[in-house]
Amino acid sequence: MSPRTKISLSEDELVKALRNKEKAGAEALYDMYSSSLYGIIFRIVQHEEIAEDLLQDTFVRIWNSFSSYDASKGRLFTWMVNIARNISIDKTRSKDFRNSSKTEDIENNVLSLEMQSGNALNPEILGLKELVAKLKPEQKIVLDMVYFRGFTHAEVSEELEIPLGTVKTRLRNGIISLRKVFN
Amino acid sequence: MKNLKSYLESGILEQYVLGDLSIEERLEVEKNAVKYPEIKAELIEIESALLSYAMSNAIEPAESLRNKVLNSLEKAEADVRPLYAASPKPGQFYKYAFAASLALFFISVILLINLNSKLNDSYTQIAVLQSGNQRFSNQVNFIDEELRDTRNALHFYQNQAAYKLVTLKGSDKAPAASMLVAFNPDEEEVMIDLSTLKMPSNDKEHQYQLWAMVDGKPVDLGVFDSEVDSTGMKKMKSVKNAQAFAVTLELRGGSANPTMDQMMAIGSI
Repeated sequence: MSPRTKISLSEDELVKALRNKEKAGAEALYDMYSSSLYGIIFRIVQHEEIAEDLLQDTFVRIWNSFSSYDASKGRLFTWMVNIARNISIDKTRSKDFRNSSKTEDIENNVLSLEMQSGNALNPEILGLKELVAKLKPEQKIVLDMVYFRGFTHAEVSEELEIPLGTVKTRLRNGIISLRKVFN
Repeated sequence: MKNLKSYLESGILEQYVLGDLSIEERLEVEKNAVKYPEIKAELIEIESALLSYAMSNAIEPAESLRNKVLNSLEKAEADVRPLYAASPKPGQFYKYAFAASLALFFISVILLINLNSKLNDSYTQIAVLQSGNQRFSNQVNFIDEELRDTRNALHFYQNQAAYKLVTLKGSDKAPAASMLVAFNPDEEEVMIDLSTLKMPSNDKEHQYQLWAMVDGKPVDLGVFDSEVDSTGMKKMKSVKNAQAFAVTLELRGGSANPTMDQMMAIGSI
């Protein structure tokens, strides 16, 4: 099976195509962001089948409510991540989800995921993995809990038994470290 | 803003990007971002960093998911329904299925009762038809018998010369009894005239038996009852050389030898 050529557009072109509900827009949207969004959804629900369903739900909601996206208020991806995260967190709070995944060992899954994601990385950002590793562990934990697990700041504070202010500081410093690496 | 630097460093912008603010706080940040380019720039930096972080943690979903998602987007365009209300819940399905099977069950019971009553009607009709049929065949049998007796009588009257008429007279046991026997020695034919038959009535266990006396020995000629519906002549068993006829009362069906003390009538040729 030969790898399919992924469609890529600039953010402005993509936004325009999505507003016009163009088929090419839907394809570019999926090719550009499915793996990033899936990475976040999967880390929150820790279940492949559910994550796939939720990724589909996320794209349907992005597609249907695209008129509510306001480019002046932030980047497209930020808006989409919040949709994906909300859908995923709603799922983890639902009754059927809690019944089905009570006994899963989340920490083990995260560890195995880290290794797994290393194999699935984009070649163009592969070199950045090591730089990401330079994030201080206490910053990385807070950042991952919020960004990849869907914890609110208050929940992180409670879970790690650290003050809310400390959570904010570590988060901010963690993001600053990322900015140094990526931007 | 008095202290832009501390606002930038407060962490609220990170919370904004991560979607962890109330609506009021969010509107506040958006208002400030329009007012202060530094805030806008900071937000863009934060967003870009997190986008890159998300990309470096990306997981490729299954290849097959792409078409599924794109198809669902195409479908979503055609009918825009609320996301989670698309299909009826399984619980509802079982509720409907249960109701449907219950309805089906009641319909079956009603049909069964209906069918059963029709079957009973049919049984009654069959019984009525059978009894009608029985009556009809009884009537046919009766008419058959009467026709036969009448034919015998006709035969007798057409050939009167050939018959010897023997009148049997009642014995001491039945002084009032009398009957007429017609005997045709050429055709070896014996008939009794039912229209002139006068014998005491016999009960159900007994029957009269006609005997012919041939050279001093009794020969069985068959049985008959005192009361008959027919008015013709009843043909009895045939005999060649009879000198006398006699009637005894025997058990129903007749006996091999006459019971002499039950002699009811006798007459010689």
